[in-house]
Amino acid sequence: MVSPSDRPAAGLLTAAGRRALDGLLTGWAAVSVTFFALRFAGGDPVASLLAQGLASSEQADALRRQLGLDLPLIEQYMRFLGGLVRGDLGRSLYTGQPVTRIIGEQIPYTAQLAAAGLFVALALGLVLGILAVGEDRRRDLPLASGLAGIATALPVAFTGILAILAATHLGQASVSDPAMVRSLGLPALVLGFASAGAVARLIQAGMQETLAAPFMLAARARGLRRGPRLLWHALRPALPPVISLIAIEAAFLFGGTVVTETVFSRPGLGRLLVGSILQGDFPVAQGLVVLSALVYTLSHVAADTLGLILDPRLRPTE
Amino acid sequence: MRLRVVLAALMLASAALAACTPAAPPSGSLVYGLTLAPTGIDPHLNASSELGIPLSSVYDTLVFLDPKTGDFVPGLAERWTISPDGTQYTFTLRRDVRFHDGTRFDAQAVQANIDYTLNPDHHSQKAAFMLGPFDRVDVIDDFTVVLVLKEPYAPLLDSLSQVYLGMASPKALEAWGPVDYQFHQVGTGPYKFVDYVPNDHLTLQANPEYAWAPSVYTRARPAIESITFRFFTDAATRAPALESGAADIVGEVPPQEAERLAAKGGFTLLPVTIAGQPLQYLVNTARPPTDDLEVRKALLLGTNRAVIVQTVFGATSPLAQGPLSANAMGFLAGSPLPGYDSQEAARLLDAAGWTLDPVSKVRTRGGQTMELVVVVPPWGSNPEVAQLLEADWARLGVRVRLETVAGFGPLKEAQAAGEYNVIGVNLFGTDPDLLRPFFVTGGSYNWTNVQSAELDRLLLEGSQTTQDRSSRAQLYLQAAELIRDQALILPIRDYVNLVVANARVLDLHFSAQGWFPLLIDLQLDS
Amino acid sequence: MMRRALVLAAAGWLVLIVLVALFAPLLSGADPIQPVGPPLAPPGVGFGLGTDALGRDLLTRMLFGARLSLVSGLLAASLAIGIGGAAGLAAAMQGGWIERAIIWAANALLAIPGLLLALMLLAAMGPGVRTIVLAVGLGGAPGFARLSRAAFLSARQSDFVRAAHALGAGKRWVALRHVVPNAGTTLLSLATTQFAWAFLGTTTLTFLGLAGNPSLPEWGAMLNEGRVHLINAPHLALWPGAAITLTILSVQLLGNWIARRQDGGAVRRAAMQAGS
Repeated sequence: MVSPSDRPAAGLLTAAGRRALDGLLTGWAAVSVTFFALRFAGGDPVASLLAQGLASSEQADALRRQLGLDLPLIEQYMRFLGGLVRGDLGRSLYTGQPVTRIIGEQIPYTAQLAAAGLFVALALGLVLGILAVGEDRRRDLPLASGLAGIATALPVAFTGILAILAATHLGQASVSDPAMVRSLGLPALVLGFASAGAVARLIQAGMQETLAAPFMLAARARGLRRGPRLLWHALRPALPPVISLIAIEAAFLFGGTVVTETVFSRPGLGRLLVGSILQGDFPVAQGLVVLSALVYTLSHVAADTLGLILDPRLRPTE
Repeated sequence: MRLRVVLAALMLASAALAACTPAAPPSGSLVYGLTLAPTGIDPHLNASSELGIPLSSVYDTLVFLDPKTGDFVPGLAERWTISPDGTQYTFTLRRDVRFHDGTRFDAQAVQANIDYTLNPDHHSQKAAFMLGPFDRVDVIDDFTVVLVLKEPYAPLLDSLSQVYLGMASPKALEAWGPVDYQFHQVGTGPYKFVDYVPNDHLTLQANPEYAWAPSVYTRARPAIESITFRFFTDAATRAPALESGAADIVGEVPPQEAERLAAKGGFTLLPVTIAGQPLQYLVNTARPPTDDLEVRKALLLGTNRAVIVQTVFGATSPLAQGPLSANAMGFLAGSPLPGYDSQEAARLLDAAGWTLDPVSKVRTRGGQTMELVVVVPPWGSNPEVAQLLEADWARLGVRVRLETVAGFGPLKEAQAAGEYNVIGVNLFGTDPDLLRPFFVTGGSYNWTNVQSAELDRLLLEGSQTTQDRSSRAQLYLQAAELIRDQALILPIRDYVNLVVANARVLDLHFSAQGWFPLLIDLQLDS
Repeated sequence: MMRRALVLAAAGWLVLIVLVALFAPLLSGADPIQPVGPPLAPPGVGFGLGTDALGRDLLTRMLFGARLSLVSGLLAASLAIGIGGAAGLAAAMQGGWIERAIIWAANALLAIPGLLLALMLLAAMGPGVRTIVLAVGLGGAPGFARLSRAAFLSARQSDFVRAAHALGAGKRWVALRHVVPNAGTTLLSLATTQFAWAFLGTTTLTFLGLAGNPSLPEWGAMLNEGRVHLINAPHLALWPGAAITLTILSVQLLGNWIARRQDGGAVRRAAMQAGS
């Protein structure tokens, strides 16, 4: 018989492995959906260039051959997947620059904003969640949990605009200049605020559940008083679902960064995406969607695996 | 006797000293806001006027247009002659000019640039057309070159004064090719091209070797070391950028915001009139219901143009009166457009068979509702103007469908599809020949689909009348009257670019075309 | 007590905007696209909510905007609920490979964030309000499929469904007569959340300028117009922004209340957990 101490490690690996495989398959599916949806719903990008006088009919034919648009759909799909594995996302219809380069130039701005927003979401969510635990719904004014609720309802666009208004009246400068690091503060706050609500709710629910558990009562009977140590013991089990939530929030964060970048007029992937849609620069738009699908899937896998490591309860029992 | 010698010596010495005093080296930096992100920025190939804002300081042209006199002055060409039949332009070039990469500017460079522009595989969208009925370049010697035309073409000197026919280093053109050259541009101008990230920034750096400034420049050498161009395509961001210091100069500031900044203090408002076509809408004569002249006349009468200009632009823009703005060469204030008369407009529509349904408030004829499709470009407050057009025409009982497009490319695409009654477009330029592609049969911008032998004749003659300015102007006046009588256009306002600059920016001057700042003249108040 | 007051207020707001949406032309004599006064007039002085940059009455535009924004959100939500609900029901009832395929497809689609899915469709089909509704609707379908499947599954486990099966009832009949009604209140709660999401989605996309028609009186588009004049005339952005926020808040409050009323939220929580 295998000793119990060996089992959890093996279980963890298989679980993680299964998750990774699942993630790979999902990522592939998402990317494929993107490809086919854009092909079916979209028009002919080369025709668009022709209409704009940017190409003669011979050049259009040459471009069609180069993009592989004259091939059967399955072959195009294979070429697309092949290019994806090699890291080739095609070239912009207008500037001819590689899509990977165009996206790469904008990633730092969005990454900065997303990271800062995530930090705000976690910090603010933690604070609100912990505060909400102590509230007695029937007697106290549920301020913290109410704030958490409102945070999820406020559209980022509106919060952003309110923030700009407040900032202007308070004399704050430069929210849009990316060269200035302090200009990140307000957009990150706006972005993170919306996710903070969800984080706060999870923390609150998790902590309340733990606080009601028997081992907690026992600990308190043994003399563990209300205070930071108690909170920490209650907090730990509540954390793993938050990690998973981060992955889900990554999706929201992406949508949120698009809007935040627009409201604060910051450069980044959001502006690139909306711009390429409006201009009809099809390869760039496709590249962005594919990239974010992959990132999203990856973060899910990572979050799930992290959750597995942190919380033994989630591991499959043998 | 000796006193005279001493005095003469002193004068000579002081003169020598004045000539030798080195100008202070360029220093400082500033940020200039661009308002459109063009899809390409090679002036030989792309048509955007936005690209000229930075690039007209990267390139010099053979001649320059003096905004005060309207005459052409020497640039890279010291002097020139035009043959009596108007088909041969002989240029004698300066010998001391160097490109930013160190190579020499000479007659071969002129030929290389024109070949590059006219190469059909490069699809030049503007520069090639600006050369007109071009035949060939003859290189006589290293510094003498002849441009030969098939027919006389009056606008040639004006074309050669614009950045689209600026002189680039043949070595760079050859090395990079038409796709990549835009990211590595090399000219002879007072500023060097450093780098460009589309929709993000473009950086220029002072050219320390620059020693051939034309007389239109106030300074001989640039004062500011580095200029960064950033994009503020979103109108809502322009005033905040100025206020926060993110930009020092921004154009196309929304009128109310411009006025607010000017009143606030710390900023200078500079309204710059742009020569060329006014902000206008072209009416499609090939698609019902606008194929009917009476309908087009009714639309013109039923548009309260004065109120539209007042509402959207305040007092900053004059009302347009014809196919050219008031300050364009060739505009003669002879034929004002009819004023707003909604009753007459309604009467014309009734007479044309479009009767107003009292319940739906929309006009119908033979069971068909009167609907107009209006294609709207995103720049220059076009969307706001279009919304007011919709309001005016809705009152006449005409249903309007507005379609905004995102840029020049999509605009052309929509036009090529043909499903529009009214479309907004205008080109800028100092020569009235820019009307020709718009109104000759088969012209590349003939989006009204007009076919008039008389207009063809007038505009062709106008392009060929090289000698007499006033007779040339008469031709364009007649053309303008024909355009008005056929109700082919709805001119709204003469373009005025509201440029707002931080008060520390001094000597902001613009070229004769209006859009392009003379970066070499700029100074920062210390 | 406080909670009850909030829920009542939420319901009241929703009723108000539905009425406004239905009777907009009667409530305001003006045409939302016609200028009625000087541009950027402040609220109060003759024009209830002020005028916008072209002199159009903001109150009229808000009233008509309620109509457009609500209808867009409702249509998009209906699309998501219809497609997603059908898929979720099929998955819950059929089981086997059908269920696995549907779950897998939903997961794949969910890998692309909803807003991104919508933007992708707009990239392909070009901007426009119809495309926005379609895009948001399709974008919400996979998520709703997953959530509704969980709700249907748990309804399927209930006693009288088992009894019906024991009595020999066919799958489809059981589905229609028992599973769907049983999942009803959970579905209702999920549907309200879906509507909140769809409403936010459509107003966000119009806010990003993807509506195509610039004169559209729609709250998201109006919020965007207000950005240019934020310093001179903040009321241009405040009215639509507040209206959008209040609507989303109200729908969420109502959804929570419905969930809590029925089963202490247990089924809903289970559905949400299964969904994530």
